[in-house]
Amino acid sequence: MKITVLGSGPGGYVLALKAAQMGAEVVVVEDRGVGGTCLNRGCIPTKALLASSELFGKMKRMASFGFDLDGRITPNMKKIIERKDKIISTQIQGIHGLFKSWGIHLKHGRGELLSNRQVLVRGEGGEETITSDRIVIATGSKAARIPTFPFDGKNIISSTDALQLTEIPKSMLIVGAGVMGCEFACIYSELGTEVTIVELLARAVTCEDVEISALMERELKKKRIKLIKEVRADRLEVCCDGVHTFISNGQEIITEKVLVTIGRSLNSVGIGLEKVGVKTGKCGEIEVNAQMATNVPGVYAIGDVTGGMLLAHTASCEAIVAAVNMLGGKASINYNNVPSAIFTTPEIASVGLREHLAGEVNPDFIIGHFQYRALGKAHAIGEISGFFKVIGDKKTDRLLGAHIIGPHASDIIHEAAVAIKAGLTVKDLAETVHAHPSLAEGMVEAAEDAYGQAIHMPRKAV
Amino acid sequence: MHSHEELKYHHKHAWAEVAGKKATMGISEYAQNKLGEIVYIDLPDPGTRIVKGTEICEIESTKAVSSFVAPLSGTIIEVNENLKDAVDIVNESPCDSGWIVVAEIEDLSECDDLLSLTDYQTLVKGE
Repeated sequence: MKITVLGSGPGGYVLALKAAQMGAEVVVVEDRGVGGTCLNRGCIPTKALLASSELFGKMKRMASFGFDLDGRITPNMKKIIERKDKIISTQIQGIHGLFKSWGIHLKHGRGELLSNRQVLVRGEGGEETITSDRIVIATGSKAARIPTFPFDGKNIISSTDALQLTEIPKSMLIVGAGVMGCEFACIYSELGTEVTIVELLARAVTCEDVEISALMERELKKKRIKLIKEVRADRLEVCCDGVHTFISNGQEIITEKVLVTIGRSLNSVGIGLEKVGVKTGKCGEIEVNAQMATNVPGVYAIGDVTGGMLLAHTASCEAIVAAVNMLGGKASINYNNVPSAIFTTPEIASVGLREHLAGEVNPDFIIGHFQYRALGKAHAIGEISGFFKVIGDKKTDRLLGAHIIGPHASDIIHEAAVAIKAGLTVKDLAETVHAHPSLAEGMVEAAEDAYGQAIHMPRKAV
Repeated sequence: MHSHEELKYHHKHAWAEVAGKKATMGISEYAQNKLGEIVYIDLPDPGTRIVKGTEICEIESTKAVSSFVAPLSGTIIEVNENLKDAVDIVNESPCDSGWIVVAEIEDLSECDDLLSLTDYQTLVKGE
């Protein structure tokens, strides 16, 4: 079986590896660096910057950990970016190494479908047509160009530009209090930028549970990040004193930079979809079934370009499903059990049902809560803000959802993901021994609290 | 400067010092002691209306997140800006430099059922 993959992000490269492991002969076509948005302009670089900003934040609190400082600690943005670039480069080498190890051929160039078996690759060395049995489109997405916010890479910037700044801006207005907006707000405000966020909706991180948003908003306030909700940034004007943002509430805010974090456009244009007859939706998303197959026999699509969740780990999961289906197995994608993580300070992570939506699916549910500040480990590490929340089915006790805001939430959430996938109950979580002292003990206590029996919580008023 | 005796107490652990139509408000010594180390107060904005017996804002300590309850109704005209950088003042001096807000009060008669220090101390002894 010969497979050609367009794109080498967390969808494309994972598919290539999985298919090669299953015996396929794989060619990957990529016109930029391997690793896609995730590795080059998304997940990994933001986490590298976040690690620097969080360390700086911790150093600012060093006295509370018992350290005296003789001198000054100053963030050096050039070095922070250098560190980030080095991390990316190491990861890229890692993917190249894996490709080599599994005999995957990487073609540099832009791929375009000529038929359901042929891909034309336009690279520096000219044009080449690759013929294969299956084609997988994993071309991803990019920051949308919105006419109101004309990116110039200097004053009005995208998330990609925000990962390349060599100086810490004095002030920044962020359009959108979603995942990216809040992550960048935390990074830059910790480094010393005065940050204002404008959000169209009524709460920050609207994709999350309502209580999570409320706590996140308080944490933003603690960091002196100004969040203006239910407003629209109507117009931007670049002047000599900065960018003037005109907001729908009549305010005019002047900042050194405006970072636009709203909107992604899908990379489904100019890759020959029309020629081959691959069906796309309103936003350009490639339509696929649960096996990740498009309407054209032999052509599959995975990741951001299919719309949906736009998460790296979803793309990787879809990659595995597509590879299995192409190579004779049977697999279907199930999005009910996909965890999400937001790398703000503190982190947010969730899986399954949100409380405000739980009623629509199952009106009979139970809720358990537990605060990080009631955990010894949280005090030991000096990070006590946050909570755990579990949602279970009242009749069957099956775990339906879990939501965490607090340190290491993105690591802790996975026990809930496993539990939901395995159909385990809230009691199963409560009865699973957790190591002490650990932050994950909060999951046990939240599960116990669903029955009013969290060991480290006072009796609830009846 | 004032002594704790001059203050009027609300049973939900807030105090008010009334001068004309203005009242300075904060949390009691008992409350700060119960809360433990205070790490953050979600200070309200001037202009916010407050209602006696209901939450003005949240106070976050290493132990819990609790409500700062309005001892009187009115409109906030000033907040203690010093608390933005040094919230520990509330632990050190809850009834003096650790005041939280000043409000213009609506109804002086609301003061009638506030407690004297002695009565308040008797109340908290039972908690």
